[in-house]
Amino acid sequence: MLDAHIFKRRRELTVDVHLQMEQGASLGLFGASGSGKSTILSCIAGIERPDAGLIRFGDLQLFPLPLPLHRRPIGYLTQEPNLFPHLTVAQNIAFGLGGRPTAHENGWLADLRRSLGLADVWNAPAGRISGGQARRVALARMLARRPPLVLLDEPFSGLDRQLVRELIDGLLIWKNSMAFTMIVVDHQAHVLERLSPCVAVLERGRIIQEGDWEQVRAAPATDLLRKLLAPL
Amino acid sequence: MPRWVARGGVVLFGLALLYPLSGLLVHVGPWRWDAEVANPTLASIRVSLLWTGAAMLIVLLVGTPIAIYVARAAARERLWWQSILILSILLPPLALGILLSMAFGPSGWIGHWLNQAGVRLSNSTAAFVVTQVYVSIGYYILGAIAAFGSIPAMLEKQAALLGQPPWRVFWRVSFPLARLGLAVAFSVAWVRALGEFGAVMVTAYYPSGMPVQLWVNLQSFGLPAVMPLLVVFLVTALPLPWAVHLMSQRPPHA
Repeated sequence: MLDAHIFKRRRELTVDVHLQMEQGASLGLFGASGSGKSTILSCIAGIERPDAGLIRFGDLQLFPLPLPLHRRPIGYLTQEPNLFPHLTVAQNIAFGLGGRPTAHENGWLADLRRSLGLADVWNAPAGRISGGQARRVALARMLARRPPLVLLDEPFSGLDRQLVRELIDGLLIWKNSMAFTMIVVDHQAHVLERLSPCVAVLERGRIIQEGDWEQVRAAPATDLLRKLLAPL
Repeated sequence: MPRWVARGGVVLFGLALLYPLSGLLVHVGPWRWDAEVANPTLASIRVSLLWTGAAMLIVLLVGTPIAIYVARAAARERLWWQSILILSILLPPLALGILLSMAFGPSGWIGHWLNQAGVRLSNSTAAFVVTQVYVSIGYYILGAIAAFGSIPAMLEKQAALLGQPPWRVFWRVSFPLARLGLAVAFSVAWVRALGEFGAVMVTAYYPSGMPVQLWVNLQSFGLPAVMPLLVVFLVTALPLPWAVHLMSQRPPHA
C-alpha cells in the first residue's frame, strides 16, 4: 500500500496532499499546469525532498529520513526520456538489470523489444534515435526492472495519437501482468482516463476532488475543473 | 569581404602563430650532448616526468571528488568555490612560489610543524611535487567542474532510480559523459605543471625539472646545450593536450 502525506512549500504554491492507494491500484492526478501534480511524483520518487510529511510504500519508508534513490522500488518516467546518450538502446534498457542479464531477464528484454517495436534500433546509439523511439526506450528501460511502483509524469506529451494509443495499450497490458501500483500525471483527461479509472484533481497544491471519472465529470468541484474537462 | 580574403588573413595569422617553432631549425652550431650537459639534462627529464606524474596523480585523486561536489552544489556555493579556485590560477607563478616557500618554510604555520617532523619543503622532491600540485590543480578542477556540470543532473538521478548505487552511477554515467572534458582539464593541468618555471624556481631549484634545467643550460652553456632538452620538452609536453583538444572538438557520434 502507498501512503503519502506530502507537504512541500514552493515559491509559487504550497503542495499539501494525502494519498492512499492499495497495492496494484492506479490513480490519475489531474489539474491545470502548475497545480502541483509533478511535485507530488517528484517527492515520491525522491527527486525532490518534501518539507514535511510521511511517504510509505509497503514496508518501506521513503520519507522522512529519505531513502536513497537506488533503494527505491520505483519506476519514474517523465516527459524527457533522459536516455544515456553514450549507450546503445539495448544497453539503456538493460541498465537497471545490473551486470550480465540472466536468461530469464533476456527473455523479458526480448518481449519488451518486440512489443515496443524496438528491434530496428536495438543496437543504435540512444542519442541517434527519434523522439518517439526515445520515449519507447525510456518506457522499456523503466519496465525492465519490473518496479512495483510506477510514476508517470506526462509521459506521452508531444507524441502523435497513434503512438500514444500504442503505448497506453502496452502499458495497460503490462500493468495487468505485473500488477504494479501506478500514479499518472497528465493534463489531458482522455489520456488519464484510459490509464486509470480513479482520479484525484488538484488545484493550487491541494486535492479538491477524488473519485472515478464519471463522478468527477458529472459534478466538477470547481469552475476551473469544469473548464478543464470541457471539450475544446 | 570575399571569403578567400578572410581565409588568407587567417592563414597568415596561423603562420605567424607557428613561426616561433621555426626556431628549432635555426643554426646554433653543433648541439652539445657531452657528459657535462647530458647528465643533468637526463636527470631533469626523469624528475619532470616522474614527479610531475606523481603531482598529476594527486591532482586527479583530490581534484575529481572536489569537482563533482562543486559541480552539483547550489549556484551560490558553486560561485564561492570557483572564486577560490580561480584565485590559485590568477596568482603570478613567481609570487606563488614565494608564498609557498614562506608558508611551507620554517616560519609558516604548517611549515613549522613539517620542519619539526623532518619534512623539508624547500629544494626537495616534496617541494617540487607540492608546487606542481598548487600550480595545476586549479586548472584541473575548474575544467572538471565544467565537464561534470554539463551532464544533466536528471540523468544521474534516473540512473540511481534504476537501482544503481552512487559509485556505479559515477562509473556508468557521469564519468563516460564527462571523460572528454576531464581529459582536456587534465591535459591543461599536465602542461601547466610540466612547464612551470617561476614557482618551481623559488621552491625547488633542486631537484631541477626540465624548465629549470633549460634555464641552467642556457645560462651555463648557451643555445647548443639547450636544443636537445628543448626538443624533449616539446615532445613530452605538447602531444597530450594537443591530441585531447583535437578530440574534444570532433562532433559527438551520438
